[in-house]
Amino acid sequence: MAYLTLADISKNFNKNPAVEHFNLDVEKGKLVSFLGPSGCGKTTTLRMIAGFETPDSGVIELDGEDISNIPPNKRNIGMVFQSYALFPNMTVLDNICFGLRMHKMLKNQIVPKAREVLDLVRLSDTANRYPNQLSGGQQQRIALARALAIEPRVLLLDEPLSALDAEVRVVLRGEIRRIQTNLKITTIYVTHDQEEALSISDRVVVMNKAHIEQVGTPQEIYREPKTKFVATFIGTANEFHGSVCGKDSVKSAEFLIKTNNASLFADGDEVFALVRPEKIDVYSYKPENIDGNVLEGLVDTITFRGAETRLGIDIGEKVITADVPGKDVFSYGQRVWVAFDSNACQVLK
Amino acid sequence: MKTPTKGPVFLRFLIVSLFVFYMLLPIVATYLFSLATRWDRSIMPEGYTWEAYQTAFNLSYFRITLKNSLILSIASCLVSFIIIVPTVYLTQINFRKFRPLLDLLMIIPFAIPTVVLALSYVRVYTFQPITRSPFLLIMATVVYTMPFMYRSVSNSVDAVDISVLTEASQSLGGDLWNTLTKVIMPNIYPGILSGMLLVFATVFADFTLAKLITGAHFKTFPMLLVEQTQIDGNVAAALSVISFTLAWGISMVLLWFSSKASKSKKAQPSDKAYIGK
Ligand SMILES: Nc1ncnc2c1ncn2[C@@H]1O[C@H](COP(=O)(O)OP(=O)(O)OP(=O)(O)O)[C@@H](O)[C@H]1O
Ligand SMILES: [Mg+2]
Repeated sequence: MAYLTLADISKNFNKNPAVEHFNLDVEKGKLVSFLGPSGCGKTTTLRMIAGFETPDSGVIELDGEDISNIPPNKRNIGMVFQSYALFPNMTVLDNICFGLRMHKMLKNQIVPKAREVLDLVRLSDTANRYPNQLSGGQQQRIALARALAIEPRVLLLDEPLSALDAEVRVVLRGEIRRIQTNLKITTIYVTHDQEEALSISDRVVVMNKAHIEQVGTPQEIYREPKTKFVATFIGTANEFHGSVCGKDSVKSAEFLIKTNNASLFADGDEVFALVRPEKIDVYSYKPENIDGNVLEGLVDTITFRGAETRLGIDIGEKVITADVPGKDVFSYGQRVWVAFDSNACQVLK
Repeated sequence: MKTPTKGPVFLRFLIVSLFVFYMLLPIVATYLFSLATRWDRSIMPEGYTWEAYQTAFNLSYFRITLKNSLILSIASCLVSFIIIVPTVYLTQINFRKFRPLLDLLMIIPFAIPTVVLALSYVRVYTFQPITRSPFLLIMATVVYTMPFMYRSVSNSVDAVDISVLTEASQSLGGDLWNTLTKVIMPNIYPGILSGMLLVFATVFADFTLAKLITGAHFKTFPMLLVEQTQIDGNVAAALSVISFTLAWGISMVLLWFSSKASKSKKAQPSDKAYIGK
C-alpha cells in the first residue's frame, strides 16, 4: 500500500487552477520528484502536503491517516526551502536543535542527535557558526540536517539547489540522494531541472499547467513519454507533425515517416512523430539498404559537446537535431543524409 | 572619488557642523540656563549655581509627576508592543491584503491634531471609571505614538523573510508562541526596540494629551514643567534638563541591555552539555 497518497487534489488561486485533479501514490522510502516548467503547480502541491496550503478538494493521506486537517506543525513533515530559511539568530547547532526542542525530545538527547545529523551532512565543524558565516551550499546542507533531525515522516524539498552554482548543485544532489537512500526516507523533490530529476529520482512526476502529464521511472519518462509535452520537455526530440497514414507511417507536409508505433491511432488522426537526436545516424553519402527513414539535408549548425557533436540539419521543411559521435567530422553546408529506424520513432497525439 | 578635493570636504564639514550646531544649541543653552545666576546682560551667564536644581527637587509635585510620567511611558511602550507586534506579524503572514489598509490607518494619528485627539477621547469616554483616568490617557498615548511603533516594526519585518521563517519553524513543529518568541521576535528585535524608544521619548515629553485628558487627576512631568515656566525660568530649564537626561539615560540603558542580551546569546556555547561529557 502506498505510504503517501494524494487523491484528486485540486487548488485554485482566485479561480485560476494551480493544481487540478492531482493523483499520486508514493511508496515508503522512495524519492519522487516533481518536474515541470515554472508555474505548473509544483510548489503549490508540495505546500499542500506540508500543510501550508489547503486543497480546495481531495484528500491527502499519510500512512493511512487523512492529514488534511492537521496543522503544519503537527504533521511531522520536514521541509527544505529554496532560500534555505535558516534562523539567522541561531547558531547552526541551535537551528538543528530547534526542531528537536519543539518535539519535546529529552534534554540530554538533543545535542547528541543534532551532532549526529550534522555529521551526516559532513559539516560537524560549523556547529557554532551563524548561518551568515556559511556558504550557500553549506547553508542548504544545514537546512537539510535540520529537517532530517526531527526524523520526519516525509521530507519535502522545494528546488533546494536552484540558488547554487552548477558544480555545487551536482555534488549536493548526490549527497541528498545518498542520505535519502541510507535513511530510507520518503522524499518529494521539486525541481524544474530535468537532469536533476532524472538523476536522483526513483520516480518522476512530470507536471504541466496544473496537471500531471506522466508518472514513471526516469527511464520510462525518457524512453516512453506518454505525451508530446513530456517528450519535448525531457531531453530533445525532433517532431514531425502530420496525420496517420496506414498502420505504419505518418504523413507530414513533405515526408512520409515510417514508424512501428502508429497502430494505436486511427487512419487520418493528427499526430506527432518524435525522434530523439541520439537515435539518428548521419551519413555523408546516401546510405543503401536501410529499412527505415532516410532524409536528405544540409548541415546548418555544429555544436561540439564533448563526447558527441550535435548537428542541426536543414531538411527543407525543418531543421533536424542529431547527435553524432565526436570523431565523425562534418562541415557547414555539407550535404548529408539522416537515417532513423522506424522503431526509434514514437507517435503521440 | 579616491582623493576628494579640499572644497567639497570643507563644504561637507560645514554642513555637518551647521546641523550639529542647530540641533545642539537649544540643548546647551537650556543646560547653561538651568545653571545660570543671571543671563540677560551678557553673552555668557554671569555666574553659575545649583539653586534651580535644588528648587526643582524640592517642588512638592516633583516626585509624583516624575513617577506618573515614567508609569505612563513604560505602560505605553508595553501596550504598544503587545498590540503592534502580533498585528504586524499576523498581517504579514495571514492577511497580506490588509497591509495597505493598515499602512493607511497608521497615518491617521499624524493627520489628526493632538488637541482634537485628546478632546475626542474626553468627549467619547464620559463614563466611570474610564473618564479622565490614567488608563484612558495610556490608550490615547498608545494611539498617538502608534505610527512610530508600527513603522519601526513593519520595516524590520520587511527586512527579514518572515513568512519563510514562519513556515520553517512550523515544519519543525513550532507553534505560534514558539515561532513568535524564538524565531520572529529575535529577528525583528532592533525594530521593536527602536519603536519602543520612540514611544517612550514621545510619551515622556507629551503635554497636550495629559493636560487635556487627565489634567490635575494625574499630573505628569511636562505639566509640572509648563507650570514652572510661568513661575521661574531657571527651574523650568532645570526640569527640562532632568527630563531630557532621564529619557536619554533610559534609552542608553535599553540599548545597552539589548546589545548585552544579543551578545551573551552569541557567546554562550549552546553545546556545553555535549562538550561536558
Ligand atoms: N499565494 C498565491 N496566490 C495566488 N496565486 C498563486 C499563489 N501561489 C501560487 N500561485 C499561482 O499558482 C500557480 C502555480 O504556482 P506554483 O508556485 O505552484 O508553481 P511552480 O510549479 O512551483 O513554479 P516555479 O517553478 O516557478 O516555482 C502559478 O500560476 C502561480 O502564479
Ligand atoms: Mg515553485
